[in-house]
Amino acid sequence: MGLNVKQRGQYVSTFRWIQVRLMETLASWVPTTPEMEAKLLFGAHVWDIAQNADALGKRTHELRLPLQHSMMPASAYVDGLLELSVIDGASQRIAGFYDAWLPGLATRYRRYLGETDLLMDAPTARIIDRMLETEARMIREANELREQLPALRLSEPDLALRLANREAAVGHVVDCTRTGVAREAA
Amino acid sequence: MNQDAQLLTMEVRGVTLRRDPAREPCFRVVHLYSELRRSVDFSYESQLEKLHREYNTETQGMEIAAQSLVDFPSAPWELRMELARQCWDESRHARLYYRRLVAKGGHKGEFPVANHEWCVACVFDSVVGRLAVQNRTFEGGTMDSMRKAVGLWREIGDPETADMIDQILADEVQHVRYANQWIRYLGRKNPSVLLKVAAAISELKRISAALRPRPGEFSINGVDLVGVPQPSVRANTEDREHADFSAEEISEVVRQQRLEELSCGKNALAP
Repeated sequence: MGLNVKQRGQYVSTFRWIQVRLMETLASWVPTTPEMEAKLLFGAHVWDIAQNADALGKRTHELRLPLQHSMMPASAYVDGLLELSVIDGASQRIAGFYDAWLPGLATRYRRYLGETDLLMDAPTARIIDRMLETEARMIREANELREQLPALRLSEPDLALRLANREAAVGHVVDCTRTGVAREAA
Repeated sequence: MNQDAQLLTMEVRGVTLRRDPAREPCFRVVHLYSELRRSVDFSYESQLEKLHREYNTETQGMEIAAQSLVDFPSAPWELRMELARQCWDESRHARLYYRRLVAKGGHKGEFPVANHEWCVACVFDSVVGRLAVQNRTFEGGTMDSMRKAVGLWREIGDPETADMIDQILADEVQHVRYANQWIRYLGRKNPSVLLKVAAAISELKRISAALRPRPGEFSINGVDLVGVPQPSVRANTEDREHADFSAEEISEVVRQQRLEELSCGKNALAP
């Protein structure tokens, strides 16, 4: 059985919470990253992520929740985001964000699309499709930057792998303990 | 001041400023005008210095907007969206200036840089204080100087740089406009907001006075920073209207600038 309206609202508002946190993470890296090209990449992507959050926040209102409503994800996911946010070093930050976290999030979006009714929930699906496109472009831009400036490549790939594993290990991004929401599709 | 605040700030000439944002080792970061190159003409080196300085200034604009997203998570979402958009705009502007710098044969770190806007704007601990100082005052003033710069770059036969600055100026209008609109809106909702704005502007005046060059101070290229004729910059009234300054506010800026010109005998042709 697919998701109901309440469950869709919980997913959308959880995805929004994540986007806002990712926006704040990139924003916090802007003044604290010395490398100008990496700094400018993060600054540009703050706006991309903010638009994702905004679109999700408008959708929450259509799902009987307040406008721009956010719901905190499962605590393990929040912990992972915290670990991401405190990474130091431009190459580590780029790898953690673009190689580990965004691809993991894209997998979650696709899972959601596989679980929801794409006709009944078409407005959410459209938003998620656009977010997938946006985030794919962000990853492409990060890769292009590293091609231009090899110094921004990670010398030891363990960090990205560890973060990716950590992201993937969180089974259910929606906090089931607080909401009783349906489990994410495996 | 608590210990955390002390870690974030520094003292320069008796005033408290925010510590500099991170810069690559190739940059020499300074805090006084006497440690900077002062460009008083449009020589090749001055052109590079101006582009290099603006590259760093736009980067600071992005850093200030980003830091405000971090520091004020409870600000209205629509205002946070404006700040996020500004991050993207300033990022593009920095890249544009850098591209032009490199095209003309310059490079990153070629001149010392000061992060005055960041160091001043980010000492204010309210979002309206920061908007009043960074967007309304610094960027409002930049609208005036950029309008003049467009004409000057065109006059020296560099329409490419002139066109670039004109587009950047159009973007900056929106940054000033949203600050004006939000300060007005928040002030109507809660008049104490306007007290914070007034306090921020008062503190800005105190900081500016402390950092201003003193008699006998020279730039690193030997310019007498007090003795040199100050360039005259006319108020860009058209863009100030677009940026939602009131007619009274624009008249006041024009009046202040005329007074300043009269009292200093400024040279209207100096860059």
